[in-house]
Amino acid sequence: MNFKEQRDLFRTKKVSAKEAVQESIKKINGDNLNIFINSFQSEALKQAEFIDNNFDKFKDAPLSGVPIAHKDIFCTKGLPTTCGSKMLENFVPPYDSTVIHNCNEAGSVMVGKTNMDEFAMGSSNETSYFGPVSNPWNSDLVPGGSSGGAAACVAADITSISTGTDTGGSIRQPAALCGVTGLKPTYGLVSRWGMIAFCSSMDQAGPFSRDAFGCAALLDAMASYDSKDSTSTERPDKNFENLLAKDFGSLKIGVIKDIDNFGINPDVMQSYEVSKTVLSALGHELKEVDFSELSTGICSYYVIAPAECSSNLSRFDGVKYGYRASDQKDISKLYMETRSEAFGDEVKKRILIGTHVLSAGFYDAYYLQAQKVRRMIKNKFESIFKDVDLIFMPTTLDQAFEKNRESNDPNRMYKEDLLTIPANLAGLPAISFPNGFKNNLPIGGQFVGNYFSEDLLLATTNRIQEVSDWHKMTP
Amino acid sequence: MDKIELKNLLFLARISADEKEHTKIIEKLKNTFDLIDEMQDLDLSDLEPLNNPLELNNVSREDVNNDRNSKGEFLNNSPESDEDYFLVPKIIE
Repeated sequence: MNFKEQRDLFRTKKVSAKEAVQESIKKINGDNLNIFINSFQSEALKQAEFIDNNFDKFKDAPLSGVPIAHKDIFCTKGLPTTCGSKMLENFVPPYDSTVIHNCNEAGSVMVGKTNMDEFAMGSSNETSYFGPVSNPWNSDLVPGGSSGGAAACVAADITSISTGTDTGGSIRQPAALCGVTGLKPTYGLVSRWGMIAFCSSMDQAGPFSRDAFGCAALLDAMASYDSKDSTSTERPDKNFENLLAKDFGSLKIGVIKDIDNFGINPDVMQSYEVSKTVLSALGHELKEVDFSELSTGICSYYVIAPAECSSNLSRFDGVKYGYRASDQKDISKLYMETRSEAFGDEVKKRILIGTHVLSAGFYDAYYLQAQKVRRMIKNKFESIFKDVDLIFMPTTLDQAFEKNRESNDPNRMYKEDLLTIPANLAGLPAISFPNGFKNNLPIGGQFVGNYFSEDLLLATTNRIQEVSDWHKMTP
Repeated sequence: MDKIELKNLLFLARISADEKEHTKIIEKLKNTFDLIDEMQDLDLSDLEPLNNPLELNNVSREDVNNDRNSKGEFLNNSPESDEDYFLVPKIIE
């Protein structure tokens, strides 16, 4: 069931919040794809009863009476928050993150926390301490990552909405691989307070749903100015759900020149070409733009993200919270053993890369150069957006791939994010939506927009979804 | 990167690894740096580095106490604590 249908059933009192939650819980208990790290069934039923008992207060709220799953990166007061890591396996935060608080206020009911790559580092959900998630379309394949559980949850119809985070593509890539819609908002639109930090200058939370409508409603709930996040931006309030119907007219949509040189799978390219014809048929003008610098974004990302991660993850030392190695006789050994025992290999690798690129002899060659590449990418986007309203491209190079591919060729996995990373470097909003199928597996396309153009991204995607069925396909 | 450099790096990052693993770790890091090094040929000397995409100004607030956090809740989250303190192994002999 899609989000709108589910919310309408609550608003018209045909299905109570409790009944909707019971249905989701039944599906969670039957899940064999390892989508959830924790589910909170008694708490969810209690909250659903509270919403049912206060129907008048919640009936017009953006997410009224709808079950939701949150990525296990958002702190939940009194309920475990693991970030996919042994380090936080038993961590129970004393507060709710702003995203959780906002979604609760908007009338949704949290049924559980979804699986993810450890500390959001990965593109396949295989680095989770709690085991990999399987793709609902084919359980031998990965769902993408790092928000793989969140995307799989919506694809498997356990909930109609879920939250994720996107640092280098971690919403859009799993959305593409699982056949759902996912939006990474402009950096600063959604508060990062209480969201466990990986790369603070790129981390951004956003919505998953089957379609643009569900993403718009969830973004209405998630987005808010928050003085507790120093990079939160104060913006005039927009109602994204209402703006879905706004007619933005005929748009100029940029398509990247020679994009097939980036190693995109022919099936993904074919869907991309079909989508271009749909955009033209809807009255938009396609304009070729040069973005040959796009592929260097990945070099910059794999310096800046590990650098910030090495700094952010230095807080995990076995002293204040989280895992502690036992029987350590001195403080230095306590730090070393705690971190060695509780971080997985990918996290350790990125901490080492980050420590190396920030060290005195290598700072200029790596960190400073990466920040200059970041400037170059941002400048390029700014110049492109002088000529076009949106950029359209495939979300990923490939469809969902087999588990264990990463161990054979990690750089191939990193390159999987080639087309998503540039928006994170520049802080721009981008949306991925299903735009084709091949071999009974979904394919995703994405729009990248100018700063704070989420209304345009959502409305344009919504318009495509009014005339197509790709988002309605289910595994 | 040689084994001496790796040992220093592991110490800086406060991560321990069995010496038998060192060759494998160096290989993994080298593989990633091969990807990163593709940016080294770019001449970007005329560009300013970019820290944050929105280039925001710092936000400040009134310097007033707020009682949002509770000491007890934080200490309860600690692997070991005693009254008002986090407990750690002896630091000074």
